[in-house]
Amino acid sequence: MMPLWRLVLLGLLIVSTGLPFLTLVITSLSRGWFWPHLLPPTFTFEHWRTLADGSPTRLLPATLSSLGLAVGTGALAATLAFPMGRAMARLHGWRRFVAAGCAFLPVAVPPLVLGVGLQFFFLWAGLGGTHRGVLLAHLIPAAGYVSLFFLGIFSVHDDRLEAEARTLGATPWQTLTRITLPVFRRPLLEGFVLGFLVSWAQVPLTLLIGQGVVPALPLEVLSYLQAGQDPRAATGALLLVLPPLLLMGMVGALLRGRSVVVG
Amino acid sequence: MIVRPPARWRRPSGLLPLLLAAPVAVGVVYTGLASVGLAGTGARGLTATHWVRSLSNPEVWRGLGWSLWVAGASTAMATALAVLLAVAFRGSTRSDRVARLLAIAPLPIPHLVAGVSGVLILGQSGVLARMGRALGWVETPADMPALVGDPLGIGLIGMLVWKEVPFLALVAFSVLASRGLRLEEAARTLGASPLATFSRVTWPVLWRGMLPAVVAVFAFVVGSWELPSLLAPSDPLALPLQILERHTDPALARRGEAFVLALLALGLALTVVVIHERLRARWTVLVR
Repeated sequence: MMPLWRLVLLGLLIVSTGLPFLTLVITSLSRGWFWPHLLPPTFTFEHWRTLADGSPTRLLPATLSSLGLAVGTGALAATLAFPMGRAMARLHGWRRFVAAGCAFLPVAVPPLVLGVGLQFFFLWAGLGGTHRGVLLAHLIPAAGYVSLFFLGIFSVHDDRLEAEARTLGATPWQTLTRITLPVFRRPLLEGFVLGFLVSWAQVPLTLLIGQGVVPALPLEVLSYLQAGQDPRAATGALLLVLPPLLLMGMVGALLRGRSVVVG
Repeated sequence: MIVRPPARWRRPSGLLPLLLAAPVAVGVVYTGLASVGLAGTGARGLTATHWVRSLSNPEVWRGLGWSLWVAGASTAMATALAVLLAVAFRGSTRSDRVARLLAIAPLPIPHLVAGVSGVLILGQSGVLARMGRALGWVETPADMPALVGDPLGIGLIGMLVWKEVPFLALVAFSVLASRGLRLEEAARTLGASPLATFSRVTWPVLWRGMLPAVVAVFAFVVGSWELPSLLAPSDPLALPLQILERHTDPALARRGEAFVLALLALGLALTVVVIHERLRARWTVLVR
């Protein structure tokens, strides 16, 4: 029998975790939910339907735009951070300290400060208000996060397997495609997910570099909420929640299914 | 025969990670130049006006102090709750596992979503007020205490705690699982009471293991923009909100002040980075 205080704590945990999600779901399905109704008088799927039936809503283009940015950022961040993490892990002493500091810098600097400092250069390079510009801006913190992630991975990795392949006559390309990539398939996927998440939730950099021209789901949610269109804001907020939950679940399932550990 | 590249090509490039810091360095140099009138919109040559105006403006210091208060209070509360959850649900029963899963569930939720939920729940005509009305505690929305945009930032702190507990709880769970149990067992075997075990073993282990994460959370919260933009009051105005407000001000002369405030926020973040790195180094030595 569970002690009462643990039962109370578990109950509070259920309410505090569940209430925000429940509120978003109910609001996204509501119509005319005014004070003082505890529940909406009418439930409707109209805010969700507008995503599929081609209605002139900004949510769908913003979702697709954000998805493209996040997938691009995740893929580029994983690709760039992989050799970065490896290079950092091979350093020792103060060099490693400085290298880790370099990777930590774009993570630690608030994105707003980064955006204020870099906006001029993006505009000067003709990247302001473009998807390419926003993607590059997202890549700055994302590459930092994913490099630190790979630094951790490579710090405990034993690269004798690759050395052995080279000794047996494999070319660098063969070693990469036959040994390195298969061994690091899952960390690469996790690095992609990490980069995806950094971009997916990014607001200040999208706002400053995208100049309000590049559609993005977080910005639409913000503008719907500020305009008092709560059901649409809640629908957008739930769309923001879905990919992170799905990706985390996927990574969790992959990790549980991990059977071979190399290193 | 395999032709191997020369050794210098195979050596890891120590310069590679500098690429990660390069954009930040460029941004910081530009921000520094713009803060003294040498770059940026409306720049008219070297001047200390932006610095003098910003640093002599009480609104800036109140905003900075308010941001530090919110970050400090929310980090402290989130840490306390994470420790409580880790200690309470560390076992291997089904309820322990469910509680741990629930505690970390909001981890991947974007801060903006937490902000939207906060507005819908804590607003004066939000879910809490409606529950209060159903229970007969409030009559009109005006009877509900303001939790969105309130001067003390209670609503903002509440949602920040909701968002930061999962990360800190995850760290606390793993610290206890990896290093706490055996030490606690040893303490109990040696006759320590549950209270003494907690204060002499569990708490020190948790505190040391969690400190870098706690510092990271504080640094993130103090510079974050999303939640304050939805839940913070307009007076005092949080530091990140002041930066964006000045940066987009139609009066070009005022935009220079945004760079000064950005440097203040950057200085704060870098101080925290140094503390974080020192703690991490110390923590690593302690673990070894």
